Amino acid sequence: MTPADDLGAPPGQLRVLHVEDNALDAELVAQALRKGGFSASVVVVQTEAEFARELSSNCPDVVLADYNLPQWKGMEALEVLQRQALDIPLILVSGALGDVTAVECIKRGATDYVLKDGLARLPEAVRRALQEKHLLHLRRLAEGNLARKVEELARSNADLEQFAYVASHDLQEPLRMVAAYTQLLAERYQGRLDEDADKFIGYACEGASRMQALILDLLAFSRVGRCGAACGRVDCDAAMEEVLLNLGPAMQASGAVVTRAALPVVWADRSQMTQVFQNLIGNAIKFHGKEPPAISVQAEKAGEQWMFSVSDNGIGIAPEYAENIFVVFKRLHTRTEYPGNGIGLAVCKKIIEHCGGKIWVDAQLGHGSTFKFTLPAAAPEQEGCARS
Amino acid sequence: MKRPCIILLVDDNPADVDLSREALLGNLHHIQVESVGDGEAALSFLNRTGVHTEKFRPDLVILDLNLPKKDGRAVLAEVKVDADLRTIPVVVFSTSRSMKDIERSYELGANCYVSKPGNLKDYLAAVQSIEQFWFGSASLPTKGQLN
Repeated sequence: MTPADDLGAPPGQLRVLHVEDNALDAELVAQALRKGGFSASVVVVQTEAEFARELSSNCPDVVLADYNLPQWKGMEALEVLQRQALDIPLILVSGALGDVTAVECIKRGATDYVLKDGLARLPEAVRRALQEKHLLHLRRLAEGNLARKVEELARSNADLEQFAYVASHDLQEPLRMVAAYTQLLAERYQGRLDEDADKFIGYACEGASRMQALILDLLAFSRVGRCGAACGRVDCDAAMEEVLLNLGPAMQASGAVVTRAALPVVWADRSQMTQVFQNLIGNAIKFHGKEPPAISVQAEKAGEQWMFSVSDNGIGIAPEYAENIFVVFKRLHTRTEYPGNGIGLAVCKKIIEHCGGKIWVDAQLGHGSTFKFTLPAAAPEQEGCARS
Repeated sequence: MKRPCIILLVDDNPADVDLSREALLGNLHHIQVESVGDGEAALSFLNRTGVHTEKFRPDLVILDLNLPKKDGRAVLAEVKVDADLRTIPVVVFSTSRSMKDIERSYELGANCYVSKPGNLKDYLAAVQSIEQFWFGSASLPTKGQLN
């Protein structure tokens, strides 16, 4: 621990490197420090070579520098510190400089400026400089930690996606064998063994094809976010037209009616936006109540974001499951009640979050559901998907 | 009497070879199905070297991509730069649906790329449609008929 880290009173031994050609001034500065309660060891240098030597051999806590020296300038000492990327505060201790010069020196990185006529202020200036240095040190530490955490997180996310992708691909191959041969068994030996055998083979076939569907879903889920480059201005009205066309048969079969306000242009991936609307409206149709589905799609501006809502008059969701339903493969019903793998809302959540938005649901069991999500409004000057 | 058309299946998975044979069961009066399990064996079969000196030149190759030893891409590349073998149609038949694999196969000169379907019915139908297209609709070079 260096004295610089040791902040409070009484201060420990302070190592001062003083750039000064006038011995009397140097003595006055040392006195001022002692009076201010510092126990300081001061080394006085005059030239750049001496300065550099002292700097490397005896790392000082603070540098004091006269602005004008016969052979050198105080600000050049600062440049040496900056070149070596040393976080040592430099305080100019000088005759009258004029406000413009003083401000210029501070701008270039001097920590403070003390007049030789006002050396009583020096201890306070040194104390503050050390404090600032300590805070800067803490901030750098925190920033370093944060950057490391962010990097770790990014790596583990990438690993996870890669894992899901590879696992899905490699799992498909042997599973295809299981599926094909149980199907072949079913086809060739149906009714030729006994009833139990038919049933067992049926279970095996069903399990294999469900597993295949799960893997395809997992693959689709892991791909979300891998296509970040496709982000751009998305006209949600056009995306919605496409969705209604895709869902046409399901809407006709259920008698669903979709009402919607004019939808905005947002910053997202077009095909992924279509997927979000399709999953939400598809769910609203699938989980309908006794009445035919009545679905309403709205959007309102909230600051820099748009908030969308998709409401229905369906079976609703018990509030305790409101967060659970966004978890991948999470289902609230048996497959015989409602088909599906429980991937739709997880995909929605991943897409929305990759675009910098949030998604949630307001629902009561038996009283319909309102899914809400936010997305950044499209700014024409945006070029990449800065938020992904 | 005209000899039967020969299909060479190149696939390291015996289960897939059997499924393809299963699909072609109804056509065995006019086609003969041969199979090898890796890329080197495929090239040896095509060049009629080693244990394959007595074999006939196939009229169609159905080629998996991921094979032991030489993989399907290498086999495809060698066949398609060989002045003699390049006229044999090669259908790539792989589980992969990746655009990279598809594009690469056509670049190397594949005559067709078919992804292996996940369920039995579609798998059998895919193999049958390959057979019907190449030996029914398409006209093939006569080279194979002469030897």
